[in-house]
Amino acid sequence: MLSRRGFLKSGGLALFGVGLSGGIPAFIAQAAAGTNLVLPYKKKKTLVCIFQRGAMDGLMAVTPFTDTFLKEARPGLFMSAAQNASGKPLIDLDGRFGLHPSMKSFEPLFRENRLGIVHGIGSPNTTRSHFDAQDYMESGTPFNKGTASGWLNRAVGLLGHDTLTPFTAVSLTSAMPRSFYGDNPSVAISNLQDFSIQMRGNQSGANMAAKSFEDLYDKTASGLLQETGKESFEAMKMLNKTDIKNYKPANNVVYPTSALGNSLKQVAQLIKMDVGLEVAFAESNGWDTHFNQGTENGVFARNVADLSNSITAFWNDLSSYQDDVTVMTMTEFGRTVRQNGTRGTDHGRASCNFILGNDIKGGLVHGNVQPLAVENLEDGRDLAVTTDFRSVFSEVADKHLGLKNDKTLFPDWKGTKIGVMKT
Amino acid sequence: MKAISCYVLIILGGWMFLSSFQNPDPAKISASNFPYKKAGLTERQAAAHLLSRFTYGATPAEIDEVVKQGLENWFQKQLIAGLPDDTLESLLANYDALKLSNSEVLAIYPKAGQTLRMAVKDGAIDKDSVKTNKVQYRQALDIYMQQKGLKPQRELTRQFISQKILRAAYTENQLQEVMTSFWFNHFNVSLTKNDCSPFIPAYERDVIRPNALGNFSVMLLATAKSPAMLYYLDNFSSSANDKNTNLRSRKKAANPDNQGKMDSLMTKLQKAKKEKGLNENYAREVMELHTLGVDGGYTQQDVTQAARVLTGWTVFPSSAYNRTKGLNQNEDRLEKRGFIHEGDFLFAANRHDTGKKMVLGKSYGTTENGYQEGVTLLHELANHQGTAKFISKKIAVRFVSDNPSQMLIDRMAKTFLDQNGDIKSVLITMVNSPEFWSAASLREKTKSPFELVIGSVRSLKAEITQPYQLYNWITRMGEKMYAYQAPTGFPDRGQYWINTGALLNRMNFGLALASGRIPGIKVNLAALNNNHEPESSQAALITYSKLIIPERNTEQTIERLSPMLNDPKLTEKVDKASNATSPIEKDQMNVVQMDPKPDIKTRRNKQEAMQNSVGSNAMLAQVVGVIIGSPEYQRR
Repeated sequence: MLSRRGFLKSGGLALFGVGLSGGIPAFIAQAAAGTNLVLPYKKKKTLVCIFQRGAMDGLMAVTPFTDTFLKEARPGLFMSAAQNASGKPLIDLDGRFGLHPSMKSFEPLFRENRLGIVHGIGSPNTTRSHFDAQDYMESGTPFNKGTASGWLNRAVGLLGHDTLTPFTAVSLTSAMPRSFYGDNPSVAISNLQDFSIQMRGNQSGANMAAKSFEDLYDKTASGLLQETGKESFEAMKMLNKTDIKNYKPANNVVYPTSALGNSLKQVAQLIKMDVGLEVAFAESNGWDTHFNQGTENGVFARNVADLSNSITAFWNDLSSYQDDVTVMTMTEFGRTVRQNGTRGTDHGRASCNFILGNDIKGGLVHGNVQPLAVENLEDGRDLAVTTDFRSVFSEVADKHLGLKNDKTLFPDWKGTKIGVMKT
Repeated sequence: MKAISCYVLIILGGWMFLSSFQNPDPAKISASNFPYKKAGLTERQAAAHLLSRFTYGATPAEIDEVVKQGLENWFQKQLIAGLPDDTLESLLANYDALKLSNSEVLAIYPKAGQTLRMAVKDGAIDKDSVKTNKVQYRQALDIYMQQKGLKPQRELTRQFISQKILRAAYTENQLQEVMTSFWFNHFNVSLTKNDCSPFIPAYERDVIRPNALGNFSVMLLATAKSPAMLYYLDNFSSSANDKNTNLRSRKKAANPDNQGKMDSLMTKLQKAKKEKGLNENYAREVMELHTLGVDGGYTQQDVTQAARVLTGWTVFPSSAYNRTKGLNQNEDRLEKRGFIHEGDFLFAANRHDTGKKMVLGKSYGTTENGYQEGVTLLHELANHQGTAKFISKKIAVRFVSDNPSQMLIDRMAKTFLDQNGDIKSVLITMVNSPEFWSAASLREKTKSPFELVIGSVRSLKAEITQPYQLYNWITRMGEKMYAYQAPTGFPDRGQYWINTGALLNRMNFGLALASGRIPGIKVNLAALNNNHEPESSQAALITYSKLIIPERNTEQTIERLSPMLNDPKLTEKVDKASNATSPIEKDQMNVVQMDPKPDIKTRRNKQEAMQNSVGSNAMLAQVVGVIIGSPEYQRR
């Protein structure tokens, strides 16, 4: 198990320590916000994972619009890339796949070859239970429920640092996600402002309490409480250097006011603060579209708009940090090829995912999607899983974070990688 | 009394006279019964330790009470768990969902999607309005639900979580509740799994709590047959491969599954596939997590074979779902074919694998009674030597230290085996062991967020009118109740609970609670000290440290906090600052999130919380808040 103690000892926070009495001089803070300042520790690459809970309909997000079987199976849901009355046709990516019109903010990123898509991705375990499929995907062991740790927690263990910062692995969720379960230090916090001692409006009371706490924890005999206490106050001071509440994104970016937008905005802040963030996790909900899924408009359209706009805002906000960041989406499974009786779709098998970054083989729809004739479908009803999610996750982890040990990351997996990342 | 005397026999192993339990006269129990004196503890210190481990935290006068009645007597009463709980019962009286059976729960609290489908089907809602007019559709749905007597499932969850908080805070039978938490976490099921969530309140009520101080084997069997576990670990769907079942009965038997309308070929295909599969999840976890432990010496072969033994163990279809099936009328016929229906449990003989199996060297499937195979298997597992060690260690980790000694574990495991999994006996062996009282164990455990919150409420004798407010804090500190996704349950070690974000929230919780800023939680700090106003802030610090962290060395806490208090203008500063404050803002946000009709309530909360804080000395609140957030208070 990695300890954070070394991080504190090594003086990793020395720079921020300056701020304890008087605050970091403005010019240093500005330099730190840029890229050129040599910090006491090496600048980190960051992998941002977004879990789309509820199972995204990959066939509607990225539609094989030339497939007549699909058109037939989804009379009320199928959209085409041809100009239509609504004025919102699919965005033709490559003559075969069309991006949902509400994801128009993704188009430039795709054309610039920064955004890649993997279609037909999923789990080898055929369960169609949300719970089980999420559990398997997050633990990274599709046939073993009892795996205590999550794959991203194991990833933290593989980073190879002797020391970690309090912000090495951060989940922007109120509860620790299954992906983060495990022995390596990680934090779940839905709002960075909670990283403070709070007595609403009573700042001097809060300051006094903070000082008392800091003192008490500093002197306690319990190693665990002392160490973590120290880190907590250091972390708090690190964040206090920035006005989190009044954060101004770069390039006049405006984040969606959604949960995801808010999460990614905070991830961007952490990245810019250079506090050592390497694995970030956020969630997007509401993908279980059994009922009135909609087409150009409706619940699915709103969901993909939020997803793509949040990610795009994040990406543009990163500006000079883009080279160090990769964003990857995931969802537990896809949905039925055929629409159901309530203009929705039911639980299926494969879906698609999005990977954004400067080291992605972007501008391509990777993977293998056969024509959606019944004989090509899994169990005669679902888009077949042709790419194991572990293949993509491990390749991204390897190429972006340098994690080579697939055996630890995905214990039972022996597949090959499909080349979603530049070599 | 007979049951009790059998525990006494174990105690006889050196520590206690038979008469002491049969005749619980305090005078006859000498203080040397629990071996704390050898560890150098005074009786009061020992009482404090005992309370810190077997309750959710001592209330201010509790140490005196325990000393007065005798530590052993107190413990015995906790083991029997028969103390009257009138206060608690009256608090719980308003929670109407708590007494419902599983089928009543399903009938009254359907899933959101199910309600919607029903409403559309009944013509109460226009299908298209869902898309076009959200407000209208919500209103129509509300009306429909009222007419049909339906309630949203989150209301069920809310009542369930609230009752746990009230119970832990106020029950006289603290040990039973602590053990209920322990076993729930051991046999974890999770609200995050939809199929399983409606059954969880009854699971805790009927399966875990009544067995928490009973027999391990009985509890294991009860969990195996409960809908919550059958859904959570998928055994409900596990059935034999065709070659191993009696095809004739398979075809003819009324299909017990919740079928509804399954006319499309696709659905039939899917269903057939589902039914055919052997599902190993439960069989694996019952060995790895519930009984033997991961190093318990079983193989993958044992897992598969055990899964075959347990095929056919499933959930009896609820009448609410299945009125038309007529399964009830057929029960006699089903019974003849080997089906067994007990409450929510169904042994579906037509899914059972009738072939021969071998698990841990014992063969199954040689008799006619398929159900009995599973019962025997679970009994074997429950009484296995590996299980004795695994369970004993887990109990020792919960009650003694994160790293209990092997000698202690072995001693407890021996009792476990000798007494056929009697949980009381194992606890008695543990508390009679020197390790329990050793210096290395004292204050060694870190309170979980739930323990911290409930402990604080008990320490301050707070009055809870809105338990859900505490739930929000517990969640924020990292313990989302009943929502640990993995079957392992929450890890039971300090390192898991203490991380930077969580720790700051613990401190903030102390400050918020003590200053009356948590809506629906009333504290009266002056009353704690019999309304004697401390003469100075220094005196307040000393008095309240002793009240809240009794029998601990609080010198350091006091010493570290004194400089802050010696600022001559301190009281003035704090009062001024706190008067300028509108204290509720943040919690208001929580109320909005959790409460469907927040407006009126929030306003009331705000007023109420303001009143709470007015009149109590802001300085005192700050001192108490810091004590609750202090490192010393995080330990038990």
